[in-house]
Amino acid sequence: MTTESHALTTTDHSPVAGLSHDTSGGISNVVLGMLLFLTSEVMFFAGLFAAYFAVRAKTELWPPLNPETGGQFHLEILPLVGPATFILILSSLTCQMAVWAIRRGDHVAFVRNIAVTFLIGVTFLVMQAIDYVELGAEGLTMASGPYGTTYFTLTGFHGAHVFGGVVMLGVVLYRGMAGQFSARHHDAVEATSLYWHFVDVVWILLFSLLYLLPGKGHI
Amino acid sequence: MHPLRHPRNAIFVGLLFVTIGAIYWGVQYVAGWEVDYAGVTLLVLLGVAMAVMAYVLIAGSPND
Repeated sequence: MTTESHALTTTDHSPVAGLSHDTSGGISNVVLGMLLFLTSEVMFFAGLFAAYFAVRAKTELWPPLNPETGGQFHLEILPLVGPATFILILSSLTCQMAVWAIRRGDHVAFVRNIAVTFLIGVTFLVMQAIDYVELGAEGLTMASGPYGTTYFTLTGFHGAHVFGGVVMLGVVLYRGMAGQFSARHHDAVEATSLYWHFVDVVWILLFSLLYLLPGKGHI
Repeated sequence: MHPLRHPRNAIFVGLLFVTIGAIYWGVQYVAGWEVDYAGVTLLVLLGVAMAVMAYVLIAGSPND
């Protein structure tokens, strides 16, 4: 082991050696830590998804009736959630383009793509906040029984993770603009990218579950 | 590097749990029981978590 931030590795290879499957083996401490963190996060969301299915299984009518209108609750994909999903998927692409840019030492493209990813993350959070306000106006709140509780718990925890990712992207953007990353030293960029892709995948699963999965016991 | 120690093989560890989840779902579905999607979800995502862990263990090990 060396005095650099690499565990179980030699001094002369990429900080993402493990990801690129180099011949000397090893993986950077930062990427290692992020992967272990993401492993725990997978099971965290697994618990939330399982709770959603457990609650849904015990309910005859899903989505249930809205006591204010008498009709069933209905989650609209347009005009907010669908576009928000699209831009979040797009942000994974821009984030990965930033990683590819810094790997080849292209600082301009790196900063540009990270900045776009950061802005998309902020936009997603704003759209989610607007969606929450609109749902509240329609009578769907945390207090709307198991449906409201599971919806806001799932999307709320995801939103909290997006916020965390935006903070990470902000730090990476700031450090990138300060010239602290190079083609050889950019562990934080790789780790942040992994996290952002994870958040994106979780949203795709959430979107499929909440918006695309047919309800049961329709009236 | 020994072929078995290639990080790509971590996917097989995950597939093991995903397969168990698929069997768990299939048995309930074929038998006509109410499917326990909570259990299926946990098994499948446990497979994802296990695959990442296996990747870390394989990719993080030195070859010398």
